[in-house]
Amino acid sequence: MRSLAASGYRQGPPFVRLALTPGAVTLVQIAALLPPVMATLYQTGFAGAQAAAALAAVTLVWEGAFALIRHRALTWNSATTALILLVMLPGTVPVWQLALAASFGVVLAELVFGGRGFGFANAAVVSLAFLIFSFPGSGIAANTPLVAASTLPGAMALILTGLVSWRVLISAFAALAFSVTLSTGEADLVVLLTAIAFALLFLVADPLAAASTNLGRWVYGLLVGGLAIFFDTGAGSAPSLNALVFAALLGSIFAPLIDHLVVMAMVAWRRRKRG
Amino acid sequence: MGLAFWHRIGSPLDAPLVAGPVKRCDVKAAAITGVDFPKVRPVLAVAKGDAVHAGDVLFRDRAHPEICWVAPLSGIVDSIDFAPRRMLSSVVIAADQGEREPPRRKVDVSTAAALRATLLERGLWPAFQSRPFGHVPDPGESPDAILIVATETEPWAPDPMIALQDRKDLFAKGAQALTLLTGGPVHLCLPSGHGLGTIAGARLRTTEVAGRHPEGLAGTHLRRLGLGATGGPVWTIGYQDVVAVGHLLETGEFLPERIISIGGPNCSKPRLVQTVIGGRIADLAAGAAEPEAARAISGSVFSGRESAWLGYRHRQISLIARVATASQGRRRDRTGGDGPSALVPTSRLEAGLPFGLPVVPLLRALAVGDAEAAERLGCRDLIEEDVALLSALCTSGADYGPLLRRVLDELEDSA
Repeated sequence: MRSLAASGYRQGPPFVRLALTPGAVTLVQIAALLPPVMATLYQTGFAGAQAAAALAAVTLVWEGAFALIRHRALTWNSATTALILLVMLPGTVPVWQLALAASFGVVLAELVFGGRGFGFANAAVVSLAFLIFSFPGSGIAANTPLVAASTLPGAMALILTGLVSWRVLISAFAALAFSVTLSTGEADLVVLLTAIAFALLFLVADPLAAASTNLGRWVYGLLVGGLAIFFDTGAGSAPSLNALVFAALLGSIFAPLIDHLVVMAMVAWRRRKRG
Repeated sequence: MGLAFWHRIGSPLDAPLVAGPVKRCDVKAAAITGVDFPKVRPVLAVAKGDAVHAGDVLFRDRAHPEICWVAPLSGIVDSIDFAPRRMLSSVVIAADQGEREPPRRKVDVSTAAALRATLLERGLWPAFQSRPFGHVPDPGESPDAILIVATETEPWAPDPMIALQDRKDLFAKGAQALTLLTGGPVHLCLPSGHGLGTIAGARLRTTEVAGRHPEGLAGTHLRRLGLGATGGPVWTIGYQDVVAVGHLLETGEFLPERIISIGGPNCSKPRLVQTVIGGRIADLAAGAAEPEAARAISGSVFSGRESAWLGYRHRQISLIARVATASQGRRRDRTGGDGPSALVPTSRLEAGLPFGLPVVPLLRALAVGDAEAAERLGCRDLIEEDVALLSALCTSGADYGPLLRRVLDELEDSA
């Protein structure tokens, strides 16, 4: 837990570190994921435990394999991917499909790029998108109110550590609420929040997948929220999580472009201000 | 939002300024170091073993022989070291016991040209820093504006008002004189509630600044005042150097004394001492902490460096814990792998660079050495101290100071 300390003084420049190390970032994310994971396991029992075991084995094998091939230290970053998948697919799909999807996401979205922080999409999003594409009909489990409620403490922790941007959360939720109101005439915000809280926090607002400028974060949130409604086939009080997964995937592909446009706009604005 | 409150407890960002009585500390040696003046190739005016007075010329810049550096204390030239390519490493003066009368010469500051010549000849020119790039300005350069920075927000920095309250007249005199060097304004950046009264002068503008680090940095003032970027050069100068200018005009004497703070997380009693430019840190920090337990660095915990000598523009010495050498080799953070750690674009980073510069794109551009992108993102106005806080706030653990300098060097060469 040394790396979580408020400020670690170090041997040489920079002498002080106020940020979390990448390992500590993963640790905070795992801690934020634990309550929803517990809630899921409590509700699904044996099926959930089976899925958990399969996910743990798959992610550990791939992390180990890449550590060996690349001569790097073993990382635990894929644990967050496994936990997210566990909450979203708690024994609703066959174990071999789960293992295949997790492998696809962890390897192709993360490990081939050199690990967490060097790719461009969230590994869990890629896994889920793969699963939905490859095995039509395998639905993502809708959030139970218990899971949604258990997301709250993690959300607070992630926002306070800056690992999740409140701008993304608010703009994505606002876009969803607005579109739902447009299509159905009314929106029950509590039902909507319950349905998407987990996916919004851990898939859409992933700092590595989202845009990284403040204005870009607003745009990214709006884009993802809008796309989720666009992809959603049935009109309802909340978009299906399948649609949200694809919206998050497309959003993370567009995030660098959003940042680029924001920077261009900022530079142009500064030039005009100076004359 | 974004700044986690539990990160803030015990964070150096909350460290107060150091105030209190100023004690005089006589150092046994002082040095002018080349790290403070990158790209300066010296033409020496003294040789090893020469006796010098405080204020005597030590060396001149080969590219601009008008610019000279003077001895910060009277004594014997102890050593002269060069870095690669005949750059300056250090000129060390060992203090001499005998007190000698420092050279006093009448100064003529009736005209702008005379003031320029005086500041150049009496060794006060290197106190200026010209942006973009942060070098000592060309003697012929006419800046768009001059920024006098009297705000300190770095952790454990000295309270600038302590140094200024007794020298208010010298400070005002120096500030008024500086208006001769530019056709534009001279901005006085003072902490709010400074109690110096008004310092009047044509083209002398006072800006009062409050807020935490990095609000007090020259780069922050520059952006707040809308200077730099596409315009011409802007010079910055520290408040104690302005006092030295005033002192030179008043007495005809070079003032090498500076009031600095000794503080830091491993300093039990932060305090102010009066010493000279480039004083030996071992002498200054003696007694402040156990040498086995703490290391003294010149400058702040963010932008400082390990050095035997107080940096030319540094106003503080920070004492930080000495990390046991045994654990140095071992990686504490196994998850970082063995390559560079990843940059996680947390929203805390935005707090490290004010005025809405796109922080994460800038850090990415610096990390890969993309000079073109970094320039577009506004890196021209920055120097190392401006990105020092970002190095502390970034998950990657990279030191962005040298990375920025590399990009600035590239931009400078291609200009």
